[in-house]
Amino acid sequence: MRQALIKKAKLLEKIRAFFDHKNVLEVQTSHLLNTPTTDVYIDSIGMSVNSEIQRQSKFLHTSPELEMKKLLSQGSGDIFQICQVFRDNEQGSQNFNEFTLLEYYRLNFDHHQLMGNVAELVKVLGVGGEVTKLSYAHAFERFAGIDILNTDFDALKVIAKVHDLSADFEWIEDLQIFLFTALCEPKLTQFPICFIYDYPAGQSALSKVKGCIAHRFELYLSGVEVANGYDELQDAQAYRQIFNRENDKRQQLNKTVISLDTDFLTQLEKPLPQCSGVAIGIERLIASID
Amino acid sequence: MAYYSTSQFKNGLKLMLDGNPCSIISNEIRKPGKGQASNKVKFKDLITGKTLEKTFKSGESLEGADVMELDMQYLYNDGNEWNFMDPNTFDQFTINDSNMDDVRGYLVEQDMCVVTLWNNNPISVTPPNHVLLEVVDTDPGLKGDTAGTGGKPATMNTGVVVQVPLFIGIGEKVKVDTRTNEYAGRT
Repeated sequence: MRQALIKKAKLLEKIRAFFDHKNVLEVQTSHLLNTPTTDVYIDSIGMSVNSEIQRQSKFLHTSPELEMKKLLSQGSGDIFQICQVFRDNEQGSQNFNEFTLLEYYRLNFDHHQLMGNVAELVKVLGVGGEVTKLSYAHAFERFAGIDILNTDFDALKVIAKVHDLSADFEWIEDLQIFLFTALCEPKLTQFPICFIYDYPAGQSALSKVKGCIAHRFELYLSGVEVANGYDELQDAQAYRQIFNRENDKRQQLNKTVISLDTDFLTQLEKPLPQCSGVAIGIERLIASID
Repeated sequence: MAYYSTSQFKNGLKLMLDGNPCSIISNEIRKPGKGQASNKVKFKDLITGKTLEKTFKSGESLEGADVMELDMQYLYNDGNEWNFMDPNTFDQFTINDSNMDDVRGYLVEQDMCVVTLWNNNPISVTPPNHVLLEVVDTDPGLKGDTAGTGGKPATMNTGVVVQVPLFIGIGEKVKVDTRTNEYAGRT
């Protein structure tokens, strides 16, 4: 018991030292928000507060991303945060309603520079082994024989059926993610530290898109997804477009449509500086360190 | 037959997969940072005994398999068919000799075992974890030897060959672990 506590405390200490050395400032942002996340497949945990004054709905943050981006747009410079985050409808040996996230942003980094920085961090923290970088397209070609960037939705459905997998998806990006989980992820266990980068534009989330490629990456430690990083979108208009697109999808799936976070969008009238950011799951990271 | 959604999947649930009844060994929910959840499920094919792994979209449904496990008494075999009886209903079931490969060395007449039925037809038999078998052939025993100083092969009355301690002689009854085919003591 105490051993596990010591292991986590030491790890957090090392993370803080790593960022202190690089002049990245530790920040804390609000965990209790007025707006739930618009992310189609992440559910915020809602609650009612101030019942004896004037009842209000609040939501536990699912990630500190938007609050930290407000700080970035105000000129915070490089920042990091270690906090608990909360998600509804998560259950399993690797998924929980509450977990610890390390989120950090580096100014003037693109996603490749950030991958280099994340690799340095996980090595400092004691993750051993060689670093492998594979583009999303290359991984699909190598592990599943699929030319993912040039295969349309109908053709991909046929491929799913050939592999005896479900093809019942609303959007091509969801089928791509499903096929990656089913066909590519099992092969990633052979790599101690593996970055998958440059996703199809449809999976851009909040990252910049150049041509048909979204500038984002994921980190897998021996096959377990541990981190998700973006070359971040900068201006309010781009975020508004993404939020609206996510709400359209929510509507089609009969999920709650979320009123946009106007605080955030107003704040971003002053755009973010060029930066890249990443979220790292601390419990999964600890599990991969001896 | 009922359909089961991934949210109802649990270990031991019997489902139809590729035309064969299967039993869930493990069910892992995989939720990517971005995107929909899926379920990684490991199955045991109850006909072939093989382990399979398959990924399902969360919310997908599979047809349940009409599989029952019943305690039955092994009665006898006539070389072609093995006969079992449900002691509650006295219903008798037969299994073809070719389906008995893994277990025929552990079945002693009158012993209880578990018979798996699919659509009311027996598809497999699980013997008790330990059975009492009689040694019908082995090299002569050595005096003063004790367990743990090596062993010798011994043929049992059911035909199975088990490694036994050197002091065990023909005609003795020994306990055998049916999961590992190992000697588990004298009676």
